[in-house]
Amino acid sequence: MNAPYFPTFSLTTYLAVAVLLGFFFGFFLERAGFSSAHKLVAEFYFKDFAVLKVMFSAIVVAMLGIAYFSLVGWLDMSQVFVPPTYIWPQLVGGLLLGAGFIIGGY
Amino acid sequence: MGTQPLPIMPVPLSVEQAEAMSQRRIKKHHVAIMLLHWFNAMVWLFELSTGAALIASPYFRVAPYWYIDMVTAFFGSRANMLQFHIVVGITWVVVFAVYVVFGFRTYVRTNVLHGIRIHEQPVWRKFLALQCVLFQNEEVCLDADDFGWLKTRFLRVIGRSHEPLPPQGLYNAGQKLFAWLVYVAIPVIMATGLVMAFHLISATAVAWAVVLHFTAVGLVLSGLMIHVYMGAVFPEEKQAFFSMITGMVSELYAYRHHFKWWKEVKMQEEAWKRELQGGSGSSGAAPPILEAATCAPPLSQEQSEENRGLPWTFKRIFRAPEYWPPYVAGAGLGLTLLATFVLMGQGLGASGGFTRYLVAVMAWVAPNYAAHNAYWSNYVQPGQSPLIAFLVFELIGVVIGGFVSGWLAGRVRITVDKGPRISRRTRYALAVGGGVLTGYGARLARGCTSGLALSGGAVLSVGAWIFMLSVFAAAFGGAWFMRRYWL
Repeated sequence: MNAPYFPTFSLTTYLAVAVLLGFFFGFFLERAGFSSAHKLVAEFYFKDFAVLKVMFSAIVVAMLGIAYFSLVGWLDMSQVFVPPTYIWPQLVGGLLLGAGFIIGGY
Repeated sequence: MGTQPLPIMPVPLSVEQAEAMSQRRIKKHHVAIMLLHWFNAMVWLFELSTGAALIASPYFRVAPYWYIDMVTAFFGSRANMLQFHIVVGITWVVVFAVYVVFGFRTYVRTNVLHGIRIHEQPVWRKFLALQCVLFQNEEVCLDADDFGWLKTRFLRVIGRSHEPLPPQGLYNAGQKLFAWLVYVAIPVIMATGLVMAFHLISATAVAWAVVLHFTAVGLVLSGLMIHVYMGAVFPEEKQAFFSMITGMVSELYAYRHHFKWWKEVKMQEEAWKRELQGGSGSSGAAPPILEAATCAPPLSQEQSEENRGLPWTFKRIFRAPEYWPPYVAGAGLGLTLLATFVLMGQGLGASGGFTRYLVAVMAWVAPNYAAHNAYWSNYVQPGQSPLIAFLVFELIGVVIGGFVSGWLAGRVRITVDKGPRISRRTRYALAVGGGVLTGYGARLARGCTSGLALSGGAVLSVGAWIFMLSVFAAAFGGAWFMRRYWL
């Protein structure tokens, strides 16, 4: 009944936790090979499906954890930020980002 | 006697040999063990299903309310449910007590301590020898091969090794570890259960018993999940499942999965044969499988020596130049994302952080403009820097984490990552052009692939999934036009 914990953090703790979480984010992204533009775009030439595999396994792991934690009442979902839906901006924004992705090798 | 030339490692079998071995059955489990196993399984099923429903304090529970209500309704009341839990638990304790008393006689009769001279061994072997003495049961004590097995198994799972697993005895190292856990946890579960049921000793003792009871059950449960998965789902272990019903496994299964045990059985059979032939010193020709085995090259000493030690394992995992298998990295990323939601109440992101860096620069260069821009003014609060935010500091961590990972694997270098047919200049231009589109799209959609697709996807935001699908659609569609630049 007490997660998420950020309201209890002091500013220093809050920012330190942010750096720590970012560290693991960057670490696993690099481990997956996402630091290479070539590896990223290989996805769209059907050569290497790492992007799809990494992204969806991460989503599934996090989703299952969140669902279970909120089911048993540990994580209060009303305090968790769920990105709001704006259909047209997100559809068009996605298309633009996807085009930028394949052009720039983001 | 006992000088049969048996192989150290399993050797490849011919089709005929494998065929013959798959037909022969060897006895693996005594009927008493099988009965005890299924009795134990029933008890765990009952105790876990009622136990999960019994934990229902406002501060801590492990099952959702609908489950607690359902089980309570099934028993009529919580008191009845508790009574059932206690009665089954006491039955379990009594049956195990009987088993231990009778089993102990067997342990005393079989002298397994011979040949272990503890003081002559190096430290970690001392530990191995000591635990064998402690448990007095060769079948479950871990040996050097088991440690090699655990290490190789782990490396194989994360795709860092393709070496064969060291040969295993009647139980493999994973099963032995589980047995260890169970041996330690079960007395704790029983003792604390009795303390809780009858309020023994003192109120403090009961309070501690509750904590210990949960912890021990949780530990066993974590192993139990793997145990049940392996037994009931994993196709390679099908025989292990049926061996708990019939007691038998095929010789081929024993050879492949429990080689050292197979060797023992084989040696015993040879000894019996010689006895039946009238005890003439020399035995006949060795069976074909053993002949083939003696010709196989033994495992080279260097190879097995190199496999030892933690630094070597660390190197294999972190310092190898290849990337991690996608599902392993993905699981790590997923756990990081989960931790972020639990700690920060939001997901990971990237473009939002960059926005804040930009706003900070603008607020410094042209404060008036930044404060009156419809979009940027959201980030400029009086008296607070736009840089004091989760995403801004998270991005610092990302740079450090990415660098550490790349540096460990020796992937750090300055290079222009481009297709073979284009110049550096073209690549730079494309990067800028793509970057403009990416940046504009990310701000239009209120998030990028990290902040919206990944984090929003995990909390099932509809917009996030729309965004993700359109990203992939545009990238797959655009790939055809860009092929000249990448391939």
